[in-house]
Amino acid sequence: MSVSAAAGATPRVALMITCLADMFYPEVGERIVRLLRRLGVEVTLPTGQTCCGLPLFNSGYHDEAAAVAARTVTIFRDAEAVIVPSGSCAWMVKHEYPGLLRGRAEAADAERLAARTWEFSQFLVRRLGRTTFESDVEGPLAYHDSCHLLRGLHEGATPRTLLNNLSGAAVVPLPGSDECCGFGGSFSVRLPEVSTSILERKLANLEASGARCLVACDAGCLMQIRGGLARRNSPLRALHLAEVLKS
Amino acid sequence: MTEPLITTPLRERAAQALGDRFLHEALDIATTRFIALRRDAFGDFPEGEALRDRARAIKEATLQRLDAHLETLVANIERLGGHVHFATTAEEAREIVLDIARRTGARMAVKSKSMATEEIHLNDALQAIGVTPVETDLGEYIIQLAHERPSHIIAPAIHKTKGQVAELFSRELRRPGLPADPEVLTKIAREELRQKFLTADLGITGANFAVADTGTVVLVTNEGNGRMVTSLPRVHVAVMGVEKVIPSMTDLAVFLAILAKSATGQKLSVYTTLVQGPRRPGELEGPDEFHLVLLDNGRVAQLAGPLRESLYCLRCGACLNVCPVYRQIGGHAYGYTYPGPIGILLTAMLNGPASVRDLSHASSLCGACADACPVRIDIPRMLIELRREVNVRGIAPRSERIVFKALARLLRSPTLYRLAARIGRAAQRPFVSDGRIRALPSFFGEWTKTRDLPSIAARTFQERWRDLS
Amino acid sequence: MTSHKLGPDDGASSSRRAGARTTKAEFLARVRGEMAKTPGLFVAAPAERPAQPRQRLELLRRELSERWPQTLERFRAEFERVAGVFHRVPTASAVPAALERICRERGARRVVSWPSEELGVALAPVLGAAGIAVESMPRDVPPDAERLRIRAVIADADVGVTGADLAVAETGTLVLVAAAGRPRSTSLLPPCHVAIFDRTVLVESLEQVGLALEAWHEGPAPPERGAVINFITGPSRTADIELTLTRGVHGPKEIHALFVDGGLGLHG
Repeated sequence: MSVSAAAGATPRVALMITCLADMFYPEVGERIVRLLRRLGVEVTLPTGQTCCGLPLFNSGYHDEAAAVAARTVTIFRDAEAVIVPSGSCAWMVKHEYPGLLRGRAEAADAERLAARTWEFSQFLVRRLGRTTFESDVEGPLAYHDSCHLLRGLHEGATPRTLLNNLSGAAVVPLPGSDECCGFGGSFSVRLPEVSTSILERKLANLEASGARCLVACDAGCLMQIRGGLARRNSPLRALHLAEVLKS
Repeated sequence: MTEPLITTPLRERAAQALGDRFLHEALDIATTRFIALRRDAFGDFPEGEALRDRARAIKEATLQRLDAHLETLVANIERLGGHVHFATTAEEAREIVLDIARRTGARMAVKSKSMATEEIHLNDALQAIGVTPVETDLGEYIIQLAHERPSHIIAPAIHKTKGQVAELFSRELRRPGLPADPEVLTKIAREELRQKFLTADLGITGANFAVADTGTVVLVTNEGNGRMVTSLPRVHVAVMGVEKVIPSMTDLAVFLAILAKSATGQKLSVYTTLVQGPRRPGELEGPDEFHLVLLDNGRVAQLAGPLRESLYCLRCGACLNVCPVYRQIGGHAYGYTYPGPIGILLTAMLNGPASVRDLSHASSLCGACADACPVRIDIPRMLIELRREVNVRGIAPRSERIVFKALARLLRSPTLYRLAARIGRAAQRPFVSDGRIRALPSFFGEWTKTRDLPSIAARTFQERWRDLS
Repeated sequence: MTSHKLGPDDGASSSRRAGARTTKAEFLARVRGEMAKTPGLFVAAPAERPAQPRQRLELLRRELSERWPQTLERFRAEFERVAGVFHRVPTASAVPAALERICRERGARRVVSWPSEELGVALAPVLGAAGIAVESMPRDVPPDAERLRIRAVIADADVGVTGADLAVAETGTLVLVAAAGRPRSTSLLPPCHVAIFDRTVLVESLEQVGLALEAWHEGPAPPERGAVINFITGPSRTADIELTLTRGVHGPKEIHALFVDGGLGLHG
């Protein structure tokens, strides 16, 4: 599956910024754009993006999710490749869009989009074949597997490859790295006490790891983990992978 | 309905469980241990992944010819001198067992661990007609004495400290001053229960499998109580969900290779007992009568229903051990017979969608359960389906549906989306300091009670794009 | 895709008058009705059953007889891993002395055992001489009063001695088929269980156990066979109290496997 860009052709990607990154973490989007351009990738941003529809889907509002999916599919119809900074949104597009839009006018486009969509770390390593970067973040770093990237897209390797090959920061293992952070979308406010209790376990594991910074590939996880660290006034940080790779 | 609808909100029950410090620690230790045991067992077992696929296929294939396999099973059990009964509902299953107890003049019944008998609330019914049910699995024995229900599918008393068990035994068994020593307490249970085994009239079990080809009912246990219950009393009754039937002994070997590993990390449980009807004429020991009660209770409807895959379940408990929610709140907070991820699906199967209005959301959809399941049941997919059912049937609170429909409208319109960002930016101003939000009113306060929230950026990424081009 | 299939279908029982029981025909009709609504989730087949299991088992035995030492070694390792105690003697005639030693070490005075024809070894002379009472289980079924007495003897015994029909190397498991002269509780009630076996019952894997089970059920069961087959993997145990492992909950606290190199002369 490792295909590097055809010799001579400039790869073009369309960025699916995701609602959370758009609203709350635009700096992550900026870093991704700068990094990709430095690697010789042309980045476009189809206009009028909102959300992939995952919150609607996960809460069982499937007709509504399908309508949002149909719109997204149309917006990205002309893209050669789409990259997504969140594992959960990438999963939604690749895994659920075809089923949601089966039998509709957008069905074929949904299949095509699913096949052309990449999560950010997967794009760097598997599509571009780039694994070595520098970092100016104070380590040690510890990687948290977001559930949809790990179990939905079966990807635990690409973020680790990038982190382990970083020059400038050490990497330590995170105990229970594959354990959920407790975000789960609306779960975080439907059962906030349970969500917080799960988060506390993650934070305890982070402290035990000796890391100074947790790295993740999902805005939802980051919102939850950063939210907990900030509330505790912790010196530890939680960053998106793109914030750790020097652009 | 099999079980009465629980009206206290899940959130309250969960919060109560979270406040129980010992439960928290016990759950952490137990689930962590089970996870490690399971991981080591499969780590040492390269054929495991292929066997899981085979096991899943056997379960699906069996459902595709369920009627034929049930016919074969019945014919073989009857050929061996056993009786098969058919229970459409929990009530009917109870009545069947009570009839057998009445007809055989039973005064006391020893029971080997059976979630199916928990599901139909058999013990209370037996008690009501003057038949004393005695749980003999140590964990079940403990919770029976404590008048509680199991909090884990395979380790029912996981929530009790040894001190609590010592106190319980001292009080209920009239043996004051017992030490909090598991060896001593186990020995006492052995003595107390040995007498019961030897004098009981009736033995009641569940069944892990029933092999159609040979009329064999299979029990997987560790303590030996399963063997006692099926050999010492003169009548043995097994209560079993219809989905537990498997075609052949060859299929049985596949399941045995993965069941104990998934549940406790053992290669096999200590005892696997294959029961083939009542004792033969040439046997010194064994029950004179053998009865199998085949239980529907909502299962048959799922053959063509959204929860069909949950019929593959082996009741190993692996999904409970890895579930971030179960690990925090334990089994009792779920409120119904079956806890944990599979428990939510089973609760819906047995009791209908109203029973999972809250429970279907007792999950972050992390998928650890599907990963751990030996037969690869896609539990998250079905949880989402249950959430959909709850919405579509109007069971979800109206206020919630209004919010999500509004969200849907917003997400379909880039204009409304941009407007929402502008409104949010303005509305958040009083609450933002240092770029953080520490407290918000109403619904948003559910987040900010325990976590900071980032503020909406002064300019969204899409608003900044022009500067980046 | 709306669905209305959740919860017990009250339609099934409401058409029946109160108190009437579901018949087999009604139950299966309902199953068929639901099955007809769906082809299932994916194309799937059950495990492939061996065509002539008895013949295949015979072939397997011959194959295994060529590598029995490795199989035995693996059995021993797995058996000990689950806290079984393994013994090995050169001939059947050495068995009684080995058993006497096991009894003496435990202060055991009362033994119940399968009859010598089932074991391939006579225990009473040697053990009797050492003051250990051996009650051999009858092959014919006595009247009820005698059955009760035997039950009490088994319950009071210190050691239960049996043979084994299979010894499974993969898991350290002994498989015992109940039969005339082989009451189930000889391996269950006494706190110590000793199983005597030789190379002819060694198998390597659970898969092969599946073959044996198929073979044993090909054709009618022999008249002396009982109605239960027990797989025993180590001593009885539980971890139900704070996950602390304790042994000998209801079943035996100890299990011993006594391997006879020279064979017991039981199988052809």
